[in-house]
Parts: sequence; C-alpha cells; structure tokens
Amino acid sequence: MAGVTAEPRLNMDVPLDPERLGAMVRQNRLDVTEMFMTAGNGHFGSCFSCTEIVTVLYFALLRLDPDRPDWADRDRFVFAKGHAAPTLYSALIRRGFFPAEWIEEYETKVGSRLMTHPSRRYQPGVDASTGALGHGLSVGVGMALAGRFDGRDYATYVLMGDGETNEGSVWEAAAAAAKFKLANLVGIIDRNRLSVDGWLADVMPMEPLGDKWRAFGWDVIEVDGHDIPALTEALRSKRGGEGPPTMVLADTLKGKGVSFMEDVRSWHADTVSAEQYALIRAELEAGA
Amino acid sequence: MSGASELAAALAAERERYPLKAIRQQYGETLQRLAAAYPKLLVLTADLMHATGMEQFGRRFADRLINVGIAEQNMTGIAAGLSLAGRPVIVDGYAAFTTLRALEQAKIDAAYNATKIILTGQSAGLSYGVGGPTHQTYEDVAIMRAIPNMIVLVPADAAELDLCLDAAMASAAATPIYVRLGRGPEYLFSDPGGQFEIGQSIEVRAGNDVAIIANGPMVFEALLASDQLARRGVGARVINMHTVKPLDTVALRRAAGEVSAFVVVEEHNVFGGLGGAVTEALSEVRHGPIRLLGIRDSYPPIGPVFELRDALGLSAVHIVAEVESLLAATLERAG
Repeated sequence: MAGVTAEPRLNMDVPLDPERLGAMVRQNRLDVTEMFMTAGNGHFGSCFSCTEIVTVLYFALLRLDPDRPDWADRDRFVFAKGHAAPTLYSALIRRGFFPAEWIEEYETKVGSRLMTHPSRRYQPGVDASTGALGHGLSVGVGMALAGRFDGRDYATYVLMGDGETNEGSVWEAAAAAAKFKLANLVGIIDRNRLSVDGWLADVMPMEPLGDKWRAFGWDVIEVDGHDIPALTEALRSKRGGEGPPTMVLADTLKGKGVSFMEDVRSWHADTVSAEQYALIRAELEAGA
Repeated sequence: MSGASELAAALAAERERYPLKAIRQQYGETLQRLAAAYPKLLVLTADLMHATGMEQFGRRFADRLINVGIAEQNMTGIAAGLSLAGRPVIVDGYAAFTTLRALEQAKIDAAYNATKIILTGQSAGLSYGVGGPTHQTYEDVAIMRAIPNMIVLVPADAAELDLCLDAAMASAAATPIYVRLGRGPEYLFSDPGGQFEIGQSIEVRAGNDVAIIANGPMVFEALLASDQLARRGVGARVINMHTVKPLDTVALRRAAGEVSAFVVVEEHNVFGGLGGAVTEALSEVRHGPIRLLGIRDSYPPIGPVFELRDALGLSAVHIVAEVESLLAATLERAG
C-alpha cells in the first residue's frame, strides 16, 4: 500500500480553478482508497459518486476556517449520506482540519478518530454526526433557520443519497424548508440510482425526483454530478433572503473513476484484492 | 366505620387541603416567562400549540414559536440544527411522540450530537387517561434514560415544573434534557420558591421505617400515604426523585442504611423506569426488599386520570396498603 503523504496546507484565499479541483478530486479518491485498504473494505461506490460534489464544496464554495471549526459565520455542511464519510474526511484533511496521518487509523483500533460514519465528537470540521439516513435535511433546516434568526449570511448545504429519499422524514424536512422560505439552504442529491440492494427503480422508485422537489416548493437544478464547472455553478448558494430553497439533483455514477466499479451494485461496499487495489490506483492516477 | 373506610375518608379530607393546577397551563406560563428571560430561546411545536397550553405564548411570541406541522422527527432534527448553531431550543409535544416517534432523532441528532435541546413530553403516564394507549405513555423514561448523554427529569407538580425548566435552561452541560410532563390538573404541593437541582432528590417527608421513592404526580400520592402511615405509627420517608438520570444515588445509599424496605411508585411500566433505576443503584449496596408500583407491563384501560390511577393501584390508599404488607413481610422474615 502506498504511504500517505502529508501535503502542505492549501492556501484557500482563492478558490481552486477547475484544473486544480480535478487534481483534488483524484487525491480524494486516492485518500478514500487508502482508508478502505487500511480497514479492509468500504463503501467505494457511495464515496466515489459524490467526490466531485464534496471537492467543489470544500475547495471552491464553502466559507470555512480550518483554524476555527466552530466559527459562527462558517458555511454549514451536513453530510447526510454518512456512510460515504471517507470522501468527507479526505476533504477535511486536504482543507487542513486534521492531519493526513489520521487516514492510517481509519476503522483500525479502539478509539480511532475516523470511523465508518462522520462524528462531530471526534472530527473537527464535521457540523453534524450522521449515518442514520433521513436526518440530515432536518438538521440543515434548523441550521439555516438559526442563520436567519441570528442575521448571519452563512449558507447551509445538505448532501443526501437518492436512496435516502425513501425515508419519510426527508419529505417532512422538504415541506418545512419551503414553508420557512430558506433561500440559504441548498440540498444536494447524489443521484447514483443505486442503493444497497439494487437499482432504486426496483427497490423503491423515487423518480421523478425533480418533479417531487418542485412540487414541494423547491427550486430544482439538475446537473452532471461529475462536471466540475457545472457543479461549481449549480452549487452556488443564494445565502440570504427569503425564497425557495434549492435542490441540486446531481446525476452521478456509483463507483465513478474505477471502470470495474462504475454502476455496479456490489461496489456499494466491498473488499478489494491486491490486484484490484493496484488497478484502482492506476486508474485513479491516470483519471481525468 | 371500618379501618379501610376511615383511611379512605382521611385521605379524601387531606386531598381537599391542596389546590389543583393544570400542568399544561403552568407549562404555557413558564415558557412565556422563559421567553422573556432568554431572548434567543425558540420553541418548536408539531401542531400542538393549542393542546400544550401554548396559545398565549403563540400570541405573545409569534416569531419565536416555530410550527413544523405534524412531523415530530423533523421537529427534533430542526431543533438539533438550531442548537448546533447556538440557539437555546425547547421542543414542545406529547411524550408519546417526542420519545417514540422521534426516538432516533433524540438519540443521534440531539444526544450524540451533544446539543442542549430541552425535549418536553406532555400527557405522559396516565395523565391523558381517556386517550388510550396511543397517547398514554409508560415506556418513555426507560427509553430515554437508556440513551447516553440524555438527562431525564420528571417534575412532581406545576410549581416544580416551573423550577425544573429554569434548571434545564440554566444547565451548562452539552446534554439534551427530556422533561416528562402530565397534562391536566394535578395537586400542587411544592414550594414555588423552592430549590430544584438536577440530580438532587428532595426528601418530602422524613421517616426511617420505609422509603417511598416517587416522581411526577406519584410524589403527591406518596406524601399523602406517608402522612397517614405516620398516624399509624410507621415512619415513611418520601423521596421525590425528580431526576431519573443522573440518579441521586447518594440519597438512595443513605436510605439503604436507614430504612428496612423500599417502595418505588411511578406512572410508568414497572420495567426500566424509576423502579429500574432505583433497583440498579441499590443492587450495589445491602438493602431491604424493594416493591415496585407502576403499570404491570400491560395496556391499561382508559379512564379519568385519578380514577384510573386508583384502579391501577397508583394512589395513596394503595401505597399505604403496600407499605404495610411489605413491612409485615419484612418483619416476619427478620423475626
């Protein structure tokens, strides 16, 4: 296994351009692979589908200060699809919230600071502990409401899976966000069309998601979830004011970036052989 | 007049001496006072403003009462988000929905996230006696106290509710607080200017023969029982265990060395609630027999509150009888 290099902290005064964002996307998938190799297995598919989304947020859009993870004016990010935590961990590491050395303890020992699902108890920069699906949007509604009450112009983002929208509580939150006219709230659905047991269309069809969110009173943007410039545009928050919340439906491929994982159900979570590991690294390093 | 009817008559006369106050009326009054004292406080309701005594609050503080509709899971999630962004939040609602419908949100969003939400649960126990098992709630204390980083409070009457919410608001711990509440009129006996410290029980009556541990409206029944037992030569200490978690183990351990038996009375399943907490704590020390009075793992019938409690053995007259039989059995064993 290739060692983990602790790169110098990036200067984030200027958001990264699409080319450097692309490099960061590759780095993120490599970091995630290292975490899963350390642990012995992982949610490859679920992580790789949202890599561009998370990278664009952390390296082009979110207003953050790694030295002040509790800064009151920071943008909030609720990583509702918590089972893809390593993608978030990589972004937090590369953004300077905690060191790359933590990768080596992912799921490996009692007291590991990095586990399968994100926790604000152990990881600086995590705004809400997640992992139980269907909670995140409600928490995001609360954060966005607090921003309004406190007169702060931070944006609140919530990243969900499309399978997660099976949970009824998501739609309770959908109704509430529209009622409260939370223009400072951006929901994102990583629409990779697969859940643990198969195609969402078979397990529990939720499409047409665009129509559903529009019917709930949201502005809906549909975008290629792997197109960095398009995502950067789509994910820009209106921040303040009263108006419809925004739902970004990002079309993605589960396992994106590794040919034998793309769109394959079993790669929701699986173990990797040494040969597969070499192939993953080769493909990711060569990737666009 | 027989002994039993004399006792019943004496208890009825004693009850007359105490005023009644509705829990939800006090709740509405207290929340208005707190809203005035804490300008950042927000209250969330799930379409129950008119059922929880919050109408006047809604008129006075319209912009501070957030109505999320009939969606308790969403309500607790939103409360967590508000709290994580630094806002003091009280979640309004019925115990049945706060603790059961939105249980995972209480665990993950509120407790695991270390928020400071106050989760209130009205109509708990048998206080909505005619509501039937969908609205009666007798499992909430067991459930909520099993959640790490959750405080569980059960105030005894309207006056203690007022003090209890003050203490909850002032709590510095990054811990959600579940406050179990009744509904309609309950006897009022606590001193409105009294002390309420989370985790610190109150000895309502002194006595060294038996200790009656109670919370919620059962404290009143216990004190009536204690007063009658005193006239019959039995010293029944009454401990108001308003905090089920963290439990006042000091008071329990002290009692274990001083009384020969315990009776625990609660408006809750005998499994896992105050009775469970007390027996867990006493299991570490030498103690006399413990009798648990509560709902015996069943769906009780419906009925008006006080009659229903009496029918289920949760009233002063039954507590007197239980104490006497327990002490008789204890003496027999000792003899």
